[in-house]
Amino acid sequence: MMKILKYNLLLLTALILVSGCRKLLDLPEEKDYLSGKLNYSNKVFEPVLGRTTVMGTLNADNSTLPMQFEIVNARYGDGKPYDDMFKVHKTWVWTSAYTGKETSLEQINAKRKLEDHPMFEIRSSGQFIMWQSSTDELIDPRPADSSNSVQDMRLFDLKVKNSGGEVLLRDFQIRPWRERPYEPSTDINPFTGAVARDPKDPNNPNKRDYILADIGNIIGTPSDLQLISNADQKDVVVYIRPFTGGNGHSLRFKFLDKDEQVIDPAKFNETKWEQLVHGFNMQKTTTYVQYDVAYPIPLVNISTPYAPNGSQASSYIKYSRRGFGGMKTTAYLGLTYNIFKAGDWEIVFHFRRENPKFQDE
Amino acid sequence: MLGFNIMRKKILFLSILFGCLMFSDLQAQIKKVLVKGVVIEKATNLGIPGATILSGTPAKVIGSTDGKGMFSVNVDEGGTLVFHFVGFNDARVKLKPGQTSVNVILHESNSQLDEVVVRGYQVRSKETSTGSSTTITSKDIMDVPVSNVEQLLQGKVAGLNIQVNTGAPGFRGTSTIRGLNTLAVTGNGSESFLQPTSPLYVIDGVPIDADKAAEYGYNQQGPGVSPLSLIPQEDIASLEVLKDAQATSLYGSRGAYGVIIITTKRGNSKIPRVRYTSNFFMNTPPKLRETLGGNAERNSKINHILANALTQEDLDKLSKTYFLTDSLNDYYNNSTNWQGVFYQNTFNQSHNLAFDGGDEKFNYKTNVGYFSETGVVKNTGFDRYNMNMNMEYNPTPKLKFFASVFGSIGKQNKGDGVGLLQSGVAENGQASSLLPGPSFFQSTLGAVSALKTLNNNDSRNIRANIDVKYQLLPGLWAASTLSYDFTSDNEDTFTPAAANRQFARVYSFNGRSSNLYSRSNISYAKTFNGKHNIFANVFNELYKVTGQSGIIVQNKTANDQLQGPLGFDGYYSTGGGILTNFKNARLASFAAAFSYDYMKKYVIDLSYRLDGSSGSGLENPYAKNPAIGLRWNFNKEEWLKDIEWLSYGAFRLSWGRNVSPTANLSNIYGLYQNTGTYNNNPTMGIDYGQVPNPKLKPTTTSQYNFGFDAGLFDSKVELNFDAYYKKVDNLLFESNLSNAVAFDKVLSNDAGIANYGYELAITVRPLPTSSPFNWSISVNGAINRDILTKLPAEYNGQYIRFDGDDKSLQHLVYRVGKNTLSNYLRVNQGVYSTTENVPVDPATGLTYSTGGRFFQGGDPIFKDVNGDYVLDNRDYEISGNSQPVVTGGLSTNLSYKGWGLNVYGSFTLLRTILNNALADRFRIMSNPFDLRAVVPLDDLDTWKKPGDVTKYPYAYDYARYGAVQPFRLDQTLWAEQGSYLKFNSVTLSYMFTKKLAKRIGLNNFRAYISGNNLITFSPYSGPNPENVTALGRDASGGYPVPRTYNFGMNVEF
Repeated sequence: MMKILKYNLLLLTALILVSGCRKLLDLPEEKDYLSGKLNYSNKVFEPVLGRTTVMGTLNADNSTLPMQFEIVNARYGDGKPYDDMFKVHKTWVWTSAYTGKETSLEQINAKRKLEDHPMFEIRSSGQFIMWQSSTDELIDPRPADSSNSVQDMRLFDLKVKNSGGEVLLRDFQIRPWRERPYEPSTDINPFTGAVARDPKDPNNPNKRDYILADIGNIIGTPSDLQLISNADQKDVVVYIRPFTGGNGHSLRFKFLDKDEQVIDPAKFNETKWEQLVHGFNMQKTTTYVQYDVAYPIPLVNISTPYAPNGSQASSYIKYSRRGFGGMKTTAYLGLTYNIFKAGDWEIVFHFRRENPKFQDE
Repeated sequence: MLGFNIMRKKILFLSILFGCLMFSDLQAQIKKVLVKGVVIEKATNLGIPGATILSGTPAKVIGSTDGKGMFSVNVDEGGTLVFHFVGFNDARVKLKPGQTSVNVILHESNSQLDEVVVRGYQVRSKETSTGSSTTITSKDIMDVPVSNVEQLLQGKVAGLNIQVNTGAPGFRGTSTIRGLNTLAVTGNGSESFLQPTSPLYVIDGVPIDADKAAEYGYNQQGPGVSPLSLIPQEDIASLEVLKDAQATSLYGSRGAYGVIIITTKRGNSKIPRVRYTSNFFMNTPPKLRETLGGNAERNSKINHILANALTQEDLDKLSKTYFLTDSLNDYYNNSTNWQGVFYQNTFNQSHNLAFDGGDEKFNYKTNVGYFSETGVVKNTGFDRYNMNMNMEYNPTPKLKFFASVFGSIGKQNKGDGVGLLQSGVAENGQASSLLPGPSFFQSTLGAVSALKTLNNNDSRNIRANIDVKYQLLPGLWAASTLSYDFTSDNEDTFTPAAANRQFARVYSFNGRSSNLYSRSNISYAKTFNGKHNIFANVFNELYKVTGQSGIIVQNKTANDQLQGPLGFDGYYSTGGGILTNFKNARLASFAAAFSYDYMKKYVIDLSYRLDGSSGSGLENPYAKNPAIGLRWNFNKEEWLKDIEWLSYGAFRLSWGRNVSPTANLSNIYGLYQNTGTYNNNPTMGIDYGQVPNPKLKPTTTSQYNFGFDAGLFDSKVELNFDAYYKKVDNLLFESNLSNAVAFDKVLSNDAGIANYGYELAITVRPLPTSSPFNWSISVNGAINRDILTKLPAEYNGQYIRFDGDDKSLQHLVYRVGKNTLSNYLRVNQGVYSTTENVPVDPATGLTYSTGGRFFQGGDPIFKDVNGDYVLDNRDYEISGNSQPVVTGGLSTNLSYKGWGLNVYGSFTLLRTILNNALADRFRIMSNPFDLRAVVPLDDLDTWKKPGDVTKYPYAYDYARYGAVQPFRLDQTLWAEQGSYLKFNSVTLSYMFTKKLAKRIGLNNFRAYISGNNLITFSPYSGPNPENVTALGRDASGGYPVPRTYNFGMNVEF
């Protein structure tokens, strides 16, 4: 019996010895792969504050995902550290898909929530995000004098790791633009935030640039000529500006004639006011049309009736009248635009030179 | 004093001599009797011819049985008779006083210890062998007619992984011993192939290359027929599979992938006899794809379009798709079974006639065979004719002489396919049933191509060898073997004009190869003191291998009648001319082996071999193959002597190395190419594709093996266990060079694989020897894990072999520390039950998308690996293992009197298969306007309406198909578990009694029915988990493996 035991034991030890574990056989452990060629195609980011911007294309070169990313060594060009961008603030994040078919503000807000995020962060895909919570007050934008001196350069490094190792990608640069709460923002100087000068006459402090409206078929009165809106002749311009007395998430459309007198929106008789923006609780008065809306506008870059091209909302105001020869002519004015910052905004169409002709011929 | 001593010794000597004489005189006085009788084999109840009868101490041969097993010998009264026959247990009979007749039943020897094994061309007793090997006898491979005998080894040897992955007649499947040996993969998509690393086959002492026909394009079998398909299974006496390095290292470089030794039958009958074996078998194609026919197809397609059109254009397109809408048109009003056009049941036969005769002094054998198999895919088939002869002549016990000639012709018809793949047939088998079938007036290009292409791929092989042995001194033998093997391969393909865009095409290949082989050895065996046995063997081998082949193609012949001669038009006459597989290589080897044992209890084997090859790098011309093996037969120890139930038991331990050059000359010396003309003179320049690397090292396979053998309860239970660790180093791997260097790439030796695993084989014979039933059950299995150990440093541990086929994109990834060949795919995690389930990017608010389309309910859930909410080519992950982890087999043999029942099964477990066949089935639905068949998907778990939780996505959304590609091939949805248990064959046989056989003028008559490839049990949803490439891709264009029903008989005259 002892002997059987003896050789059983022998068998067992031999088995363990020969077949054993990977360690014993000196086999390499499986590790994640981290490519030496891992890099970003562009390492200078220039986001505009106040908007949620996803930036950066990581070329992981088939490194094993997920990887851990960490922004380290954030410093100005002269070595002084900065951390203002990494402060945590509440920001809207989407939780389910916006479709453009929501029928109330609550329905829209049920699809997103406020969450704490550092204003500038990197997510697991290796994409950098500048959240909409960033503002000029919280983050110093690039210098207003358009200089780019070393001490103003914001640099940082990125530590990328998985179980296969770790690489440090050096010298990313971030140069935030100051907030431009809406787009098109041709009337704002992007460096200073002040009113932009006329590009045709940039040295004249008395002339300014405007947002141009997209117009067609509008006959001016009294000249009976078509109004024109281009770089040379700005007959109809748009102001996107905050107004007071709103509920904090409202959008108002207003129309001014050449004397800056309000035109009754009802005169734009062919306008589909209900579909002008994805807004609710429309209030139509003789001076304005106002909606409760969710900001930013548009909410998501998908094609909806309010933003056919997805990236910008599109609001067109139309009216018709009897033209020459008794033909019905339809005129329109409109704008494709974004408004990034929540608040009470009004979009004002201003007929600067001549008033539109509403009367039949 | 001295003289006295001598004197005393002399007296002593004389007295002993005298005593002996006296004694023998006394013996002589015992009465002799004439004893008659018959020696019968237990299993068959037939007489055994040629059994030797011994008697006396020491035993002397006193006679042998005649052709019917009868004997009559003169023997001492009351003496003991010993009946001996190779392969049977000796029987001892003590004669009773007055007994004059003895009937003896010999039991077949089942104990593995009685087996002999072959090591380094020398026959050794299994009891003293330190290496790991398994022997299979002719009994295990008879009764099931196959064109390639290799497939009959499936599931019979632990650690030998054979996958019968093609049903094309005359083709080989894949075979590997102990895991993966290579990283080399060629081709794209479903037609990606792993370089075959078949074991070396040694037939009657002559090594042959089984991969020969695959040389030209790996598994995409080129012209020529594998030498293994040229051996008739009836002529094989035994096969031995050598697994560990101790066993294979004496075969040197060529034994790196294991060695299989085939011994053909020898003549063994005093009276010349004629044996005839015949098989009549039917092959049936497996279950084919179900399709809808005629009006059902039309309705299905129209509904498909109406229900899923996104735009008015789609609806308008329907009215312009006449084959769907013009239902009254005769041309579109059919219900053709296209698969029936290409697949068929076939009836086949094989005949084998063997003549043999002679005894131990002189014997001869002639085997004439014919085998014919028509493929289940029409216009394919294989015919084999062969005649083998051998002769053994031992004029004196000191001289042995063996000669053999082996001649065979294999004729293969591959149709328009390449054997493993019949993609033409598979594609046309999917044609719409609304189209009319092929006819005199109407034919489609694909159908004509598959059915009317004339292909003749034949291989003529002749091999002769002579083997002479001479004993110089007792125990000292000198031997020499010389063999010449010549093969001529021809392939002619004629594609008629109707199958090749109105111009006939002729392709012709011809190749020759020869192998001159010589081996000389000196061996010495000696026993000292009856306890110490030594055996030494020194030999050298010389190979001269030559080969050359060429092709010519005539792309446009004048008409279908002009099928040659070729080359009348220089413009359309293309072809490779001489192909790059030209070979003129020499290999010289020197080897020595030494073994020692102490009372057969402790055994040590040492061997060393040097291979010099003209194919090795200049810096490493000689490959060194050392090996050591130890064995301890512990049952012979004193302290285990008393254990009755232990028949034998042994531990084995071995280590060895096989070194084989894998590079070719251009890798080592570089390549010069014709680079056009300069000043009207042709110029030669350096090929800058690859920098020559004279330091290339040969691939080194080193292996440790630990083995345990035991026989219990009088060998009723036998088991073999092996654990091994095999390391393949210095594998060739291509590295890219910096673009600042003139050359693009360099071949390095910096890749390696390790395989480790366990093998277990158990045989149980539960019934006592006295029982009229004979029953044995065998189970064997092997677990093998392969791990990539090394890649060139620049890859940092991972290399992805991107699939160049845009439609497939099934990439392979090599990652150090993981199983070697893993897939690199998009990960499928199910199906979006509703659109609301699709995730949304929290930052942008956009839903998960691909190709500009947002995912919606019914679309597959692809894992967004990088987390950017866009599915693109960065979202691949490593998954799966294309190599099987567990392989094995089981068998049971039951016999009772004349009846016999044999069942063989095999299994493969834990393997990932990419079910591209199923993918194709879904993909047919991607375009309902296409002239392709409709496949019912009712049996599959597909998404149909929001809320369904299913495995497969919505199949009919053809309008979004291009962007979303729900059935893209590069996803894990198709990665399925490829485990299977297959009943390879079942044979029921009956041996007619002698009396009955005699009545019809025969000596023996045995009839049997058998079936091959009968049932496969598998969780796999595709047609056949075995019919896949070595990389685990189930290409639906593969050649289906047929089911075979056979009736056969063995007749002896």
